[in-house]
Amino acid sequence: MAGPDPKAAWRQYQAGLKTQGAASFDVKVAVAGSITVEPLEPYLGAYLLSRKFKPHITCGPFSQLRQICDDYKSVLGAGDFNAIALLWRVEDMFPDLMARSLDSPAAIADLLREVKIFADAVANLRKKFHGTLIVSTLPYPSMPGFELTEMGQASAGGLAFQAVSQFWTQEIAKLERVRLFDLHGLMLSAGLKHANDARKWQLYRQPYTEPFWGDIGRMLGRMIAAEKISPKKCVVLDLDNTLWGGIIGEDGLGGIQLGDEFPGKAYRDFQRYLMHLKSKGVMLAVASKNNPDDAYEVFDKHDAMILSRKDIADFEIHWESKVESIKRVAAKLNIGLDALVFVDDNPKEIGEVSERLPGVTCVTVPEELAELPGLLAGTDLFDVAEVTDEDRRRTEMLQADGIRQQAQEIMSEEDFRKSLNLKIDVFAAQKQHLARVTQLINKTNQFNLTTVRRTQDEVEMLAEAQDALVLGMDIKDKYGDYGLVGVSILKKQNKICVIDTLLMSCRVLGRGAEATFIAKLAEAAKSLGCEEMRGKYIPTQKNAMVKDLYQRFGFRHDTATGEWAVTLAEAPKTPEHIEAALRLKVG
Amino acid sequence: MSDALINLFAEVLQVEPKTLNDNSSPDNVKQWDSLAAMHLVAAIEDTFKVQLSTKEIMKMSTIGLARKTLQGKNVAV
Repeated sequence: MAGPDPKAAWRQYQAGLKTQGAASFDVKVAVAGSITVEPLEPYLGAYLLSRKFKPHITCGPFSQLRQICDDYKSVLGAGDFNAIALLWRVEDMFPDLMARSLDSPAAIADLLREVKIFADAVANLRKKFHGTLIVSTLPYPSMPGFELTEMGQASAGGLAFQAVSQFWTQEIAKLERVRLFDLHGLMLSAGLKHANDARKWQLYRQPYTEPFWGDIGRMLGRMIAAEKISPKKCVVLDLDNTLWGGIIGEDGLGGIQLGDEFPGKAYRDFQRYLMHLKSKGVMLAVASKNNPDDAYEVFDKHDAMILSRKDIADFEIHWESKVESIKRVAAKLNIGLDALVFVDDNPKEIGEVSERLPGVTCVTVPEELAELPGLLAGTDLFDVAEVTDEDRRRTEMLQADGIRQQAQEIMSEEDFRKSLNLKIDVFAAQKQHLARVTQLINKTNQFNLTTVRRTQDEVEMLAEAQDALVLGMDIKDKYGDYGLVGVSILKKQNKICVIDTLLMSCRVLGRGAEATFIAKLAEAAKSLGCEEMRGKYIPTQKNAMVKDLYQRFGFRHDTATGEWAVTLAEAPKTPEHIEAALRLKVG
Repeated sequence: MSDALINLFAEVLQVEPKTLNDNSSPDNVKQWDSLAAMHLVAAIEDTFKVQLSTKEIMKMSTIGLARKTLQGKNVAV
């Protein structure tokens, strides 16, 4: 969170006194609105600082949204923005039509026509601007005839607003890569009375209270941060007094609290939220000090359980420490400790884990049980720019991993490899792959040679460029489909093909996938008309595992440039046991 | 000498406190534009836990007048 005083944090940062630890990414954001947006700056800035960004915020002049859509550089300046956010209210842009909509159905049709023109203008901006483009939903209007205290929402005007608001949201949702910022929803959540400040509107053309600007700043910041920061990947859950009330080892199956009456309902609703997280691709694991049979009995036999055993990617049920359990979860799921959230009701366990494993985010079951179902909702822990197919299938894919491992244990390494029937497909990324490709670019830490992070728009530009290739790698074997698990970006510089990006998900390593990927990169480089490939290893705290990768595959070190080079003739070939294909875009 | 109100104005206007006094106003401090006025009101309300009416805000055309308004609301500045 943004700390106790976002304004002070922001001022100190602006004065260059303090940057709150090592800021990793510069992020340039422009915000503009049909209202004055300057009050947003400290809140947005402080939030981005708290997520370790170095923010640069430009506030556009008020009421120039159309001009911004037509030519954003002339209004906002030529700054190379990572994100532009537009906040608007329909009563500011179309006051007369809104007033007329109160008693004329024909005005509604006119209003929708105007709104469509504005949506087209946003589509036009999308074409010219390559960063993240964020546009607000329509907040409930503040104008005569729409007073909620006088049943405004059920009046003709209220119905007109609902029509126009729905129309706008649908028009924007149709545009690719324009993100909707739910200003209306945020306003409902704060409450109109707490969001609006009549004095500020009269004096400064800005309608909102400071706390509501705080809400807007944080939520906008979360959307911008989600483009670059990877979300938590797994929630590690205690069982007793976390997933159900009571202690299974003492109270027994019939004695624990879980059902449709409070307090059992709070636990059940919490499980429902966890299922929702799982559907977004967050894995669930269990760390509990219990007899395994007692714990499994609840999963297998209790009628009110929402979670079943197959929803849990890893069970750590034994009497060893939670610290040990959490380390094992991270190792088995092959994710970093900083990708874990740990939930427990026992402050001692929470204390021990947060002290010994500082990367893990610890969350304590609240004293007020009614707040348990919403404990993880509304946090920024799981914010993700876009949920991909691979996310949704993650737990299922892990289970295929388990079966694979069992097979591996009973076979020789050689036989196992052959038995997998590995099929690898390397292809030029198309539009439908970009969300997943971007996700891998931004969250892969270990098998990542250069760790260059990019937004989806930046990736899209490279995918469309003549002298570059964005390649994805799909892997299948007889146990299942891994999906898109590798990404490389090649850039042609005359006869040299530069490997700008080379990364893979760690789950697929060691079965010849690396060799195949590099072999296919060489073929792709050849198709670009190159004779040599060159790549760099840029060390980070997490990517030591690929330090020697290029050396292993026969690249020569060029001490002058620090690059690794190999001629295409000498590049590795696809291993025999693998069926591999390369598909590049045609035309 | 530290004056909480002067310091607040200096921080928001991003000028040295010693360049300000009770006669400072938008006429003699170039950073004090209409946007700064908006930020000043937000900062005053926040810092001194008061709510100002539009009338009071309109009258606060110098730091001295802001001081008087706040003193009238039992804020020790």
